[in-house]
Amino acid sequence: MSFFKNFNKGIFKENPVLVLLLGLCPTLAVSTSLDNALGMSAAVLFVLISANIIVSLIRNFTPEKVRIPVFIVIIATLVTIVDLSMQAFLPELSESLGMFIPLIVVNCIILGRAEAFASKNSLKDSVADALGMGVGFGVAIFLVSFFRQLLGTGEVSLFGVGISLPGLSSNPMAIFILPYGAFMVLGCLLATMRYLEVRKNG
Amino acid sequence: MDSNTSLLGIFITMALVNNLILSKFLGLCPFFGVSKKLKNAVSMGAAVVVVMFAASVVSWLLYYGILEAYDIMYMRTVIFILVIASLVQILELTIRRTNVNLYNALGIYLPLITTNCAVLGVTFINVDNGFGLAETVVSSLGAGIGFTLVLAMMSGIRERLDIADVPKSFEGIPIAFIVAMLLGISFIAFGGLV
Amino acid sequence: MSNKPSIKKELVPVLFLTIVVCIAVVALTLTNDATHQPIEDGKASATVALLSELFPEMTDYSLDDSTAIYVIKQDSDIVGYSFSTSGNGYGGAIDILVGINKTDFSEGNIILRGISIISQGETPGLGTKILEDPFLSQFQGLNTDNLALSQNGGHIDAITGATISSSAVTDAVSSSVAEKIDDLRQLNLEVS
Repeated sequence: MSFFKNFNKGIFKENPVLVLLLGLCPTLAVSTSLDNALGMSAAVLFVLISANIIVSLIRNFTPEKVRIPVFIVIIATLVTIVDLSMQAFLPELSESLGMFIPLIVVNCIILGRAEAFASKNSLKDSVADALGMGVGFGVAIFLVSFFRQLLGTGEVSLFGVGISLPGLSSNPMAIFILPYGAFMVLGCLLATMRYLEVRKNG
Repeated sequence: MDSNTSLLGIFITMALVNNLILSKFLGLCPFFGVSKKLKNAVSMGAAVVVVMFAASVVSWLLYYGILEAYDIMYMRTVIFILVIASLVQILELTIRRTNVNLYNALGIYLPLITTNCAVLGVTFINVDNGFGLAETVVSSLGAGIGFTLVLAMMSGIRERLDIADVPKSFEGIPIAFIVAMLLGISFIAFGGLV
Repeated sequence: MSNKPSIKKELVPVLFLTIVVCIAVVALTLTNDATHQPIEDGKASATVALLSELFPEMTDYSLDDSTAIYVIKQDSDIVGYSFSTSGNGYGGAIDILVGINKTDFSEGNIILRGISIISQGETPGLGTKILEDPFLSQFQGLNTDNLALSQNGGHIDAITGATISSSAVTDAVSSSVAEKIDDLRQLNLEVS
């Protein structure tokens, strides 16, 4: 498969969150603001690409028996590096995202791609796959955050620049910021996607 | 959390008020994946309780015994996940030797407990809240039981949903999310317990 | 001699894993060395920011390790004391920084400078009102004899619809003052 095709599938056809239903925990937990969404996607993308690169590079030397423990150690190390770097240089983001940064280590997307793809494919393909999956994850978490932040606080903002809806910002629908709203937003998002797909197919 | 909080308070908080699935967003993948048949849901839940309990105690001991003693707390993510992976491996071997039917029923979901964010999440919560050993035991048991409870409730509801009249777009997973939302809202009531 | 190849087969995977673990440990140690100081510095400046919010005139502070009480100084004079506490809010722990004016700490003469909410997870729009002025300012200059909710005989009006959050904060502050009062008196004698 070409580089572009490998990349593309992660965003649409095999979107890790919206199609494969992986990585649900951070998507719902962290999607209370666009800043959080961006921070989490960047962290996941970094770990995903690095892990895929390393796993793909050593795929011909890795003994079958210790494959999974080796992948876990690699991913856990990468996640700890991201965690410590964030605490040092982006403390507010680190505080916002909280325990979900170290929890990236059990994000099924990363171990899943390492196991299912990078351990069996070339470096170039693995990078394309990681990029696609990471961006796909970002798109999904962005969508959920957008709706939750807009409806739950009446305004959306990124890096401090934002727009607010006058009617909503004085009387926001708090349920969207609460955990329950997250379930509702993602559920409706999935239903919408199903509807669009059914219509497309006839 | 206040260290004066009673053990019972911690148990109830972890099981109901701060339910892992409905409030803390942990353990969602098995929640939406496994929960179609009640029997499987309960077996899965029981396995999670066992791993969560063992992992919490072992990681607590390692954290205060070794990590803090040598000031290498930054190693905790790596150490904790390796502890969980090992325990899951041990559990898998044990079940395969003692009860082959159960092993077959659980199938792929057993090794997946390793990537269950709920287990790793609870080990972090115990340490971040400064729990002692007794509190860790109670907290992990409460969290696991609460997790199993919600898993069982969800599977019971989904069995009914299969024969109910659900809008086409919502069939299957989307309606499960809406159900999760409603369950979560009903659990708000437990906030008054503590 | 047929044992030799199988021992080798068993050994290679373990060796591989060990090498990977060693590389991982090295990588983590290096990262920790690089990030350790910035993290500590960040925490220190966060503390300064919080304390200055309560005591704008502060020029310096010191921490008494045994009691975990901050001594707030303006030039060479001590202006107050501060300590942190935690309450059980609706959405988990509420971390609070309590500021007390320097006094003789005799009965009925303990006045709060104010409080600062360090972190909380309360319901947005309702419980989060504990961060806002109508609620917070009630603690400024409050005599600790009146440190209770109005419905319990004190001077703190709870937030409508957020009784749990309001009482969590009030109870945490009042019990921490009660806990620390002996330490405060002792420390006050020592440093004055």
